[in-house]
Amino acid sequence: MTRGKVIVPKMVLQNQIRTLRFMHGEMTQQDLADRIGVSRQTINAIEGGKYSPTLEAAFQIARVFGRPLDEVFQCVVTRGGRV
Amino acid sequence: MGGSFEEKSVWIQLIATVLALAAYSVIAGRMLAAGVTALPAYAALFMVATGLMVVLLVAGLVVAALAGRGRPEGRDERDRLIGWRAESNSGWLLATGVFAAITGMIFSIDNVWIAHLLLLSLFLSEVLGFVMRLVYYRRGV
Repeated sequence: MTRGKVIVPKMVLQNQIRTLRFMHGEMTQQDLADRIGVSRQTINAIEGGKYSPTLEAAFQIARVFGRPLDEVFQCVVTRGGRV
Repeated sequence: MGGSFEEKSVWIQLIATVLALAAYSVIAGRMLAAGVTALPAYAALFMVATGLMVVLLVAGLVVAALAGRGRPEGRDERDRLIGWRAESNSGWLLATGVFAAITGMIFSIDNVWIAHLLLLSLFLSEVLGFVMRLVYYRRGV
Protein backbone atom coordinates (compact mmCIF):
# COMPACT_ATOMS: atom_id res chain seq x y z
CA MET A 1 0.00 0.00 0.00
CA THR A 2 1.41 3.37 -0.94
CA ARG A 3 0.77 6.31 1.22
CA GLY A 4 0.88 9.90 0.02
CA LYS A 5 3.50 12.13 1.52
CA VAL A 6 1.96 14.45 4.04
CA ILE A 7 3.05 18.03 3.66
CA VAL A 8 1.81 20.31 6.36
CA PRO A 9 0.97 23.68 4.86
CA LYS A 10 2.94 26.54 6.28
CA MET A 11 0.73 29.27 7.60
CA VAL A 12 1.54 32.85 8.39
CA LEU A 13 -0.64 34.92 10.66
CA GLN A 14 -1.40 38.38 9.35
CA ASN A 15 -3.37 41.05 11.12
CA GLN A 16 -5.10 44.35 10.62
CA ILE A 17 -4.31 45.79 14.02
CA ARG A 18 -2.46 48.85 12.68
CA THR A 19 -5.42 49.74 10.42
CA LEU A 20 -7.96 49.11 13.17
CA ARG A 21 -5.98 51.26 15.62
CA PHE A 22 -5.99 54.04 13.03
CA MET A 23 -9.75 53.65 12.57
CA HIS A 24 -10.27 53.86 16.31
CA GLY A 25 -8.99 57.40 16.69
CA GLU A 26 -5.30 56.50 16.24
CA MET A 27 -5.39 54.33 19.34
CA THR A 28 -1.84 53.90 20.62
CA GLN A 29 -0.18 50.53 21.10
CA GLN A 30 0.02 51.33 24.81
CA ASP A 31 -3.76 51.96 24.99
CA LEU A 32 -4.47 48.64 23.32
CA ALA A 33 -1.90 46.88 25.50
CA ASP A 34 -3.50 48.28 28.66
CA ARG A 35 -6.93 47.13 27.54
CA ILE A 36 -5.91 43.52 26.97
CA GLY A 37 -3.33 43.24 29.74
CA VAL A 38 -0.06 42.83 27.86
CA SER A 39 2.97 45.05 27.34
CA ARG A 40 3.26 47.60 24.54
CA GLN A 41 6.19 45.59 23.18
CA THR A 42 3.95 42.53 22.86
CA ILE A 43 1.40 44.51 20.82
CA ASN A 44 4.27 45.78 18.68
CA ALA A 45 5.50 42.19 18.16
CA ILE A 46 1.99 40.99 17.24
CA GLU A 47 1.53 43.86 14.78
CA GLY A 48 4.89 43.15 13.19
CA GLY A 49 4.16 39.43 12.87
CA LYS A 50 6.97 38.52 15.28
CA TYR A 51 4.65 36.89 17.79
CA SER A 52 1.42 34.96 17.38
CA PRO A 53 -0.87 35.78 20.31
CA THR A 54 -2.76 33.18 22.30
CA LEU A 55 -6.40 32.64 21.37
CA GLU A 56 -7.45 34.53 24.50
CA ALA A 57 -5.38 37.59 23.56
CA ALA A 58 -6.55 37.41 19.94
CA PHE A 59 -10.20 37.37 21.03
CA GLN A 60 -9.56 40.22 23.44
CA ILE A 61 -8.01 42.33 20.68
CA ALA A 62 -10.96 41.59 18.39
CA ARG A 63 -13.36 42.52 21.21
CA VAL A 64 -11.59 45.86 21.78
CA PHE A 65 -12.15 46.75 18.12
CA GLY A 66 -15.66 45.27 18.09
CA ARG A 67 -14.84 43.06 15.11
CA PRO A 68 -15.00 39.31 14.52
CA LEU A 69 -11.70 37.49 14.98
CA ASP A 70 -11.22 36.80 11.27
CA GLU A 71 -11.44 40.48 10.44
CA VAL A 72 -8.53 41.16 12.75
CA PHE A 73 -6.37 38.08 12.08
CA GLN A 74 -5.99 36.17 8.85
CA CYS A 75 -4.13 32.94 8.30
CA VAL A 76 -2.33 32.88 4.96
CA VAL A 77 -1.11 29.56 3.54
CA THR A 78 2.30 30.11 2.01
CA ARG A 79 3.04 26.55 0.86
CA GLY A 80 0.45 24.13 -0.50
CA GLY A 81 -0.06 20.75 1.16
CA ARG A 82 -0.75 17.29 -0.28
CA VAL A 83 -2.06 14.32 1.70
CA MET B 1 16.79 50.70 23.96
CA GLY B 2 13.11 50.21 23.25
CA GLY B 3 12.72 46.81 24.85
CA SER B 4 10.30 45.91 27.60
CA PHE B 5 11.41 45.94 31.22
CA GLU B 6 11.60 42.15 31.09
CA GLU B 7 14.07 42.42 28.24
CA LYS B 8 16.13 45.00 30.10
CA SER B 9 16.21 42.83 33.21
CA VAL B 10 17.47 39.92 31.06
CA TRP B 11 20.27 42.17 29.78
CA ILE B 12 21.22 43.07 33.38
CA GLN B 13 21.20 39.41 34.44
CA LEU B 14 23.25 38.41 31.39
CA ILE B 15 25.92 41.04 32.01
CA ALA B 16 26.07 40.22 35.73
CA THR B 17 26.32 36.48 35.03
CA VAL B 18 29.06 36.95 32.41
CA LEU B 19 31.03 39.15 34.83
CA ALA B 20 30.63 36.56 37.58
CA LEU B 21 31.67 33.80 35.17
CA ALA B 22 34.72 35.80 34.10
CA ALA B 23 35.74 36.45 37.70
CA TYR B 24 35.24 32.79 38.59
CA SER B 25 37.27 31.65 35.55
CA VAL B 26 40.16 34.02 36.36
CA ILE B 27 40.35 33.00 40.02
CA ALA B 28 39.89 29.27 39.37
CA GLY B 29 42.33 29.42 36.42
CA ARG B 30 45.02 31.06 38.54
CA MET B 31 44.54 28.53 41.34
CA LEU B 32 44.72 25.62 38.91
CA ALA B 33 47.79 27.15 37.22
CA ALA B 34 49.41 27.40 40.65
CA GLY B 35 48.83 23.67 41.06
CA VAL B 36 46.07 23.86 43.66
CA THR B 37 44.02 20.69 43.21
CA ALA B 38 42.74 20.11 46.75
CA LEU B 39 38.97 20.48 46.72
CA PRO B 40 38.73 22.22 50.16
CA ALA B 41 40.84 25.09 48.78
CA TYR B 42 38.07 25.85 46.30
CA ALA B 43 35.25 25.62 48.84
CA ALA B 44 35.01 29.38 49.34
CA LEU B 45 35.11 30.04 45.57
CA PHE B 46 32.41 27.44 44.89
CA MET B 47 30.20 28.82 47.65
CA VAL B 48 30.62 32.42 46.47
CA ALA B 49 29.99 31.44 42.84
CA THR B 50 26.88 29.40 43.68
CA GLY B 51 25.62 32.10 46.05
CA LEU B 52 26.21 34.72 43.38
CA MET B 53 24.18 32.71 40.87
CA VAL B 54 21.27 32.47 43.28
CA VAL B 55 21.53 36.18 44.16
CA LEU B 56 21.59 37.15 40.46
CA LEU B 57 18.55 35.05 39.67
CA VAL B 58 16.61 36.33 42.68
CA ALA B 59 17.66 39.93 41.91
CA GLY B 60 16.41 39.53 38.34
CA LEU B 61 13.06 38.24 39.56
CA VAL B 62 12.75 40.99 42.18
CA VAL B 63 13.60 43.73 39.67
CA ALA B 64 11.08 42.30 37.18
CA ALA B 65 8.43 42.05 39.90
CA LEU B 66 9.06 45.63 41.08
CA ALA B 67 8.88 46.90 37.50
CA GLY B 68 5.66 44.98 36.96
CA ARG B 69 3.92 46.79 39.82
CA GLY B 70 2.90 49.66 37.56
CA ARG B 71 1.64 47.23 34.95
CA PRO B 72 -1.49 45.26 35.75
CA GLU B 73 -0.29 42.20 33.88
CA GLY B 74 3.31 41.90 35.15
CA ARG B 75 4.98 39.33 32.92
CA ASP B 76 2.73 38.83 29.96
CA GLU B 77 2.11 35.80 27.75
CA ARG B 78 4.97 36.64 25.37
CA ASP B 79 7.47 36.99 28.22
CA ARG B 80 6.38 33.62 29.62
CA LEU B 81 6.60 31.88 26.24
CA ILE B 82 10.06 33.33 25.61
CA GLY B 83 11.18 32.24 29.09
CA TRP B 84 9.92 28.66 28.60
CA ARG B 85 11.40 28.35 25.12
CA ALA B 86 14.79 29.72 26.19
CA GLU B 87 14.87 27.36 29.18
CA SER B 88 14.01 24.34 27.07
CA ASN B 89 16.69 25.27 24.53
CA SER B 90 19.45 25.94 27.05
CA GLY B 91 18.88 23.07 29.49
CA TRP B 92 20.87 20.67 27.30
CA LEU B 93 24.07 22.48 28.26
CA LEU B 94 23.56 21.80 31.96
CA ALA B 95 22.51 18.22 31.18
CA THR B 96 25.67 17.74 29.12
CA GLY B 97 27.78 19.09 31.99
CA VAL B 98 26.11 16.76 34.50
CA PHE B 99 26.53 13.81 32.14
CA ALA B 100 30.20 14.66 31.63
CA ALA B 101 30.67 14.99 35.40
CA ILE B 102 29.09 11.57 36.00
CA THR B 103 31.32 10.11 33.29
CA GLY B 104 34.30 11.78 34.97
CA MET B 105 33.34 10.20 38.31
CA ILE B 106 33.17 6.76 36.66
CA PHE B 107 36.70 7.27 35.37
CA SER B 108 37.82 8.56 38.81
CA ILE B 109 38.80 12.01 37.59
CA ASP B 110 39.87 14.38 40.33
CA ASN B 111 36.85 15.81 42.18
CA VAL B 112 38.06 19.37 41.73
CA TRP B 113 37.65 19.07 37.94
CA ILE B 114 34.19 17.59 38.35
CA ALA B 115 33.18 20.48 40.61
CA HIS B 116 34.53 23.02 38.10
CA LEU B 117 32.72 21.24 35.28
CA LEU B 118 29.40 21.30 37.13
CA LEU B 119 29.70 24.98 38.05
CA LEU B 120 30.80 25.97 34.56
CA SER B 121 27.94 24.10 32.93
CA LEU B 122 25.53 25.79 35.34
CA PHE B 123 26.94 29.24 34.52
CA LEU B 124 27.08 28.60 30.77
CA SER B 125 23.57 27.18 30.70
CA GLU B 126 22.30 30.36 32.37
CA VAL B 127 24.24 32.55 29.94
CA LEU B 128 22.87 30.61 26.96
CA GLY B 129 19.35 30.92 28.38
CA PHE B 130 19.68 34.71 28.71
CA VAL B 131 21.14 35.01 25.20
CA MET B 132 18.31 32.92 23.75
CA ARG B 133 15.73 35.06 25.52
CA LEU B 134 17.27 38.21 24.03
CA VAL B 135 17.32 36.60 20.57
CA TYR B 136 13.63 35.67 20.91
CA TYR B 137 12.78 39.19 22.06
CA ARG B 138 14.57 40.69 19.06
CA ARG B 139 13.80 38.18 16.30
CA GLY B 140 10.38 37.08 17.44
CA VAL B 141 9.06 33.81 18.74
